Amino acid sequence: MATAREVLTLAVEIGDLLLRNGAEVYRVEDTVLHILEAYEIKDYDVYVLSNGIFASANEDEEDACSMIRHVPLGSVHLNRIAALNQLSREICAHECSLSDAWERLKECKNLPLAPDSVKLFFCGLGCGCFAYLFGGTVTDGLVAFFVGVVLESFLLTTGKSKSSKFIINILGSAIATTLSLLALNFGLPVLHDKVIIGSIMPLVPGIALTTSIRDLFNGDYLSGVIHLMDAVLTAFCIAVGVGTIITIYQFLPGGVLLP
Amino acid sequence: MMIQFIVGFFATLSFAILFSAPKRQLIFCGLTGAAGWIVYLLLTQNDSGIALANLAATIMLTLMARIFAAIERHPVTVYLLSGIFPLVPGAGIYYTSYYFIMHDIENFTRYGSETIIIAGSIALGIVFGFALPQRMFNALPQLGHRTKK
Repeated sequence: MATAREVLTLAVEIGDLLLRNGAEVYRVEDTVLHILEAYEIKDYDVYVLSNGIFASANEDEEDACSMIRHVPLGSVHLNRIAALNQLSREICAHECSLSDAWERLKECKNLPLAPDSVKLFFCGLGCGCFAYLFGGTVTDGLVAFFVGVVLESFLLTTGKSKSSKFIINILGSAIATTLSLLALNFGLPVLHDKVIIGSIMPLVPGIALTTSIRDLFNGDYLSGVIHLMDAVLTAFCIAVGVGTIITIYQFLPGGVLLP
Repeated sequence: MMIQFIVGFFATLSFAILFSAPKRQLIFCGLTGAAGWIVYLLLTQNDSGIALANLAATIMLTLMARIFAAIERHPVTVYLLSGIFPLVPGAGIYYTSYYFIMHDIENFTRYGSETIIIAGSIALGIVFGFALPQRMFNALPQLGHRTKK
């Protein structure tokens, strides 16, 4: 029989990892509750926010304990969420002992991410495809591909040094805009707006928006607002980055006049 | 239309890779996004207005995400987060800031309100997509496993 403390540590650790990799609040709360239940903890309470977990177990017993975790908003890793989901399914089906669960948790933590070269290529491909989808030509798509690759290499390098998210978004969208306008200036037959729209797609807060809606809909208003704020501010930063470069471009001698 | 579907598929698939979705699920992520995009495209071509197009497309892709999630036994998030990207108003953000810089207040308000409407429609679409009870999706895994045999 495991102590409440061991079980709670495992449950909260799994919850922490889920939240860190971008799961919505409802899923985290549900997972932690189910794990506690599966290991026969009777008396428990869990409260999850988009950047924190509060949990307590066996309040009236000898081995009462509680835990608080601070989880900063981070980048999304869907394969880790999927793996953790599988793990918690097995725990709930009582197919997984406590020590096995820790082993599995370690594996989930170290699930490999796509290598940088793959990310670079697919970021470019994504940007190119989006430029085309939003009404650009094939040339626009090709230009957006290269802009996307450069943008992703910028994101990868800054991602390692913990720079402010705001600065990264402003600089990132500024880089994308600059490169797109350069392509226009070199006389490539591009629709600069389509190229810019395609290449800022990796920055656009689609995930924050979606998560925020799901949190709000599940009644987690505070978490929903945290993500919504994140989405709005990110959108604002992108607008600042794009806007600044376009304004400068207008005043540059030799800048092709924008339509 | 076919080209749009394929490009939409690869656009979503690329973003799914950026968010390191599980390798075996990439195809389903791509299909979710492409389906949403096609619904959006069909409706906008028939002048049904940007709000309805986004709403219907989001409902479509949310339902598809839930179906895939039930069959593949993965969290809905995997498909939904990548699938939503073609609809997210990146263009709206760009045009809004562009016309703001250009002091074109008329277009600025137009694109600004359009962006907010799109975000709102996506929100409602997700809410409606999740309104169907989970029960209806729970029968799906058996279906999936039967076809696999």
